[in-house]
Amino acid sequence: MVRMTLHERACRGCEMCVDICPTQVFSYDRERRIAVIDHEEDCIACLSCSYLCPSGALQHDDYPVVKNFYRDLEFTRKIEKFL
Amino acid sequence: MPELAAERAALQESMTFLGAIAGGLEQALGESANDISYLAGKRLGIKLSADAPRAADLESALETVRQLLVDNGCLWHFETFKPHDRVDLVEVTDAGENILLVFRDCMIRQSLFRFGHPQKGSLCRLMYGFFAGALYNILGEDSTLDIIHAGENACLKQLTIHRTCRQELAS
Repeated sequence: MVRMTLHERACRGCEMCVDICPTQVFSYDRERRIAVIDHEEDCIACLSCSYLCPSGALQHDDYPVVKNFYRDLEFTRKIEKFL
Repeated sequence: MPELAAERAALQESMTFLGAIAGGLEQALGESANDISYLAGKRLGIKLSADAPRAADLESALETVRQLLVDNGCLWHFETFKPHDRVDLVEVTDAGENILLVFRDCMIRQSLFRFGHPQKGSLCRLMYGFFAGALYNILGEDSTLDIIHAGENACLKQLTIHRTCRQELAS
């Protein structure tokens, strides 16, 4: 399962992660003016929040990393037949 | 090893070329580019699933599609997704049965990144077409695959099987 960490001191409360997340993992704490991880179990590890976060406050661990197959030798062999 | 490096370079060029074709089609044809990619995907789906076993339910059909992709060396691995607030994996709505799918390794996404082309464009319709073609053969039903979110590391899509529409048409 994907593990997420939100570094609260880094969060600027821009809510971009709340808006971009397709599975509503985040909510916004109006009192503290920061994002909060509500449903970590729903994270699909698209990493959009992480890429978008202007202050790099989000960290994902134990997630499946997609293969850049054009760099991976094994996958290059598989694709060979299409060339 | 130098041979493999040459193949890898050829593959990267092909991906850039594919991205360029998609970009050019979209510029020249606008939204019609989506239909071209959809039809190409559908044809591929129909072709690869011609001898696939028929299935009665959506989950078995998806397993067959997954196997088809693996058997044909297609890098379109997907898994079903059930959010915490969803009661059943397969939901029945007025539009039909729908299920959420997460796509991780994807040839299209990698090609788009390679070319620096935005996601959710015409090439993504290739996948929609593939599922529509394969599921038509396997389930005998029409389907749509809507992109809910296209991310850097995974995409979330909703697959809808239009059983209800078919039943309505029949009655």
